[in-house]
Amino acid sequence: MPDVLALVQAAADTAAASGYGRFPGPGARVAVWIAAQVHLMFAAFVLGVPMFAVITELIGIVGKDTKYDKLSKEFTRLLVFAYSATALWGAVLVFFLTTLYPQFWNHMARIFGPSMWLYVGLFFVESFTLYLYYYGWERWNAGRAKWGHWGLGIMLNVWGTIVMFIANGWLTYMMSPPEGVTVAGLPEGMTTWNAIANATWIPINIHRMIANAVFGGAIVAAYAAYRFLAAKTDEERAHYDWMGYVGNFIAISTFIVLPFAGYYLGREIYEYNQQMGITMMGGFMSWLWIVQAVLIGVLFLAANYYLWLGMGRIPGAERFTPYTKWMLLVLIIGWIVWATPHTMIASREELMAMGGSHHPFLNVLGVMSAKNTAVNIMILTTFLSFLLYRRANKRPTVSWAKAGTMVQAAMFVLSTGVVIFYGIYGYFVAALVRIGFSVYQVGAVLACIIGVTVIDIALVRGAESRGAIQWGRMPERAQYALFVLAVTFTWLMGLMGFARSGIRQHWHVWEVMQDTSEFAATPALGYAANVISVCVLIFLGLVAFIFWLGGLAESAMAKSVAGPTAPIPATAGGE
Amino acid sequence: MWATNLKVLALALAVVGFYTVVANIIPQLESEVPEALALGDDVTPEQLVVAGERVFNGAGQCTTCHGLGTRAPNLLTAHAGEGAIGARCGDRVAGQDCKAYLYASLTDPGAFVVAGFGNIMLDVRRQLPEDQIWAIIAFLQSLGGDVTVTGADLPTEAGGAATPAAAGPARSTTTDPMALLQENACLGCHAIDGAGPPIGPSFDGIGGRISTDRIRSGILDPDAEIAGGFEQFAGMMPKQFGDQLSAAQLETLVQFLAGRR
Repeated sequence: MPDVLALVQAAADTAAASGYGRFPGPGARVAVWIAAQVHLMFAAFVLGVPMFAVITELIGIVGKDTKYDKLSKEFTRLLVFAYSATALWGAVLVFFLTTLYPQFWNHMARIFGPSMWLYVGLFFVESFTLYLYYYGWERWNAGRAKWGHWGLGIMLNVWGTIVMFIANGWLTYMMSPPEGVTVAGLPEGMTTWNAIANATWIPINIHRMIANAVFGGAIVAAYAAYRFLAAKTDEERAHYDWMGYVGNFIAISTFIVLPFAGYYLGREIYEYNQQMGITMMGGFMSWLWIVQAVLIGVLFLAANYYLWLGMGRIPGAERFTPYTKWMLLVLIIGWIVWATPHTMIASREELMAMGGSHHPFLNVLGVMSAKNTAVNIMILTTFLSFLLYRRANKRPTVSWAKAGTMVQAAMFVLSTGVVIFYGIYGYFVAALVRIGFSVYQVGAVLACIIGVTVIDIALVRGAESRGAIQWGRMPERAQYALFVLAVTFTWLMGLMGFARSGIRQHWHVWEVMQDTSEFAATPALGYAANVISVCVLIFLGLVAFIFWLGGLAESAMAKSVAGPTAPIPATAGGE
Repeated sequence: MWATNLKVLALALAVVGFYTVVANIIPQLESEVPEALALGDDVTPEQLVVAGERVFNGAGQCTTCHGLGTRAPNLLTAHAGEGAIGARCGDRVAGQDCKAYLYASLTDPGAFVVAGFGNIMLDVRRQLPEDQIWAIIAFLQSLGGDVTVTGADLPTEAGGAATPAAAGPARSTTTDPMALLQENACLGCHAIDGAGPPIGPSFDGIGGRISTDRIRSGILDPDAEIAGGFEQFAGMMPKQFGDQLSAAQLETLVQFLAGRR
């Protein structure tokens, strides 16, 4: 114990003298990195899950289907445990920052002090709203009281979102501080609000809201997968199969729009500072996007694989089975193209070894035209998988069914044609024109998705069933696909966190407050990947514990509802 | 259930391990921190070149744009058949030698944007200390030219500048219009006497095409009104001449241009 105290004292002395504290072992940077990243992963979970907890509860209320209500409550039970973990890691982060980076923390507190008080206040309000929402579930479960309960769920989302927006103000300030800020603080006439509402605040807010829904869906799907594997009855298996499907559907459908929010954020970064944007996309971080492409390729493959396996539990789906191998082929080709390196930072020796600024063969595949084409076709293929899944057990009865299907097919062909046309045309125009083509490609894909979905909803209304979906009849390997999705989303989140934070390079606050610590240099991807993996394993380990707790609480409640086995005394009944 | 737990754990470890391995086998690039170089007055050109190459490929992050030749001119090998930067830097701006041109283009890059590229580079003094800038210049000179940077160019230990350039180029007091045009790199974009790049409107006959007031406002606020036919170069002309030129210099320049009919 005295050794530990001596170590702590030494750290405090160092912090006072140099502006930086020492952390034994991996050092101060890794300590803060892990605390921040794990906190962020839990925060994303507790912000994402309430979004669809209220949506599923609403579906349950309107459709009078208790299955959805049960699902919603199960989501919320996970939240109660995850919430504590979020707060604990948040406290660890604050303590690390104050002891390891005291001067930086002083700077932030000087600028954002009032918003920090507001943050804490709202955190209390959010916590108690969550407790009311969860523990009041059975008390307010009918009539107007149920709507009041649903309102609590809405408020939980509102408080959580405001809390996130405040924290986003702090971290985006570090990336894009307003003009005129110095180490001493804000210039005359500038307020805390100006520092919060900086150039990248809104894009990060939007990006994180969508990403939270994706992440929450993926983790809930993994929870369902685990419970499916542990299920002892067919009824349990059916419930968790369905829950896994819903979680995965939410994760993938929201994930498809995430790149658009990413483009918006990237554009704002370029607008704020071109050099920062170039560092992010083409500088020392250029290889990061190749790793990202590898991860997203895995996500596409795992999500489609899950859907294809899911068709095994749908009567009538076998007629679509021959198409899956072609869809798999398209996805793999798209993945290879997307993950092809192109505009990489290179030394003189590397340039000479390549015989030019780009690789002689990969140059053709790695350009934006090819990559945009590949990713858009992968999105279309995934959407087609989902459409086939949806149509599997339905036999449309509307008179225009055949024509409607033909129009849908034409939309797919047209949209693919537009994507490929602009992909090829992009090779023959200037870069500035080529960048504009991505808008047409994305527009064609979105139009196809929206148009086909609208037609499909009308087309299958009143359709005959080829047989009910046999929930629970799902192979175990499908559940492992859900685990792959959850682990990959979590790792991807860590990678993107590194990208966002790393582009500041050796600045605590970009071009305002320089990092002069021994860890000021931004590490290479390999080192970053090691830290990200540690964060992911810590998070998943704790989440597994929370899942286990969720099961424990459920079995305890089931026992208490079943009640004692002894006969109830007659006096208890009144008569 | 233990078997399932182990399978899930093994899968999670395998997926995490796969991504970790992928990220570790690709080229590893670290973003270095600019540090003051321990180069004294007696530093040799060779030492400056070595230090400069390190900064160019590391903390300076110059290769992000200049190594590829797609975002900015390729400085490492021949660009557009013009030879390496060390060989061509002395001919870029009339009246500026290689060293002066490179320093000016590093600290005021907007004034030297090469046709076909965007005005994306910022003053490197925002990111690098003076001694590293001079080391980069020495390295660039070594690519096909003679290294003329010496220890005398580096800032002194007391924090002052050994040369005026260490605190930014000295403010000129000349009122010779041609010297002003050259010092402020106007001829990097505007042609005069039938020679020069057509990035901005030619100075030949400018007094007959636009008014004296328009010439003055064009220097002070270049983006307020873009000359017809030059829309694609909007935003390229530096906007600091109002601060950079004295009133006498500005009026000398305006009257000189207005007289070219």
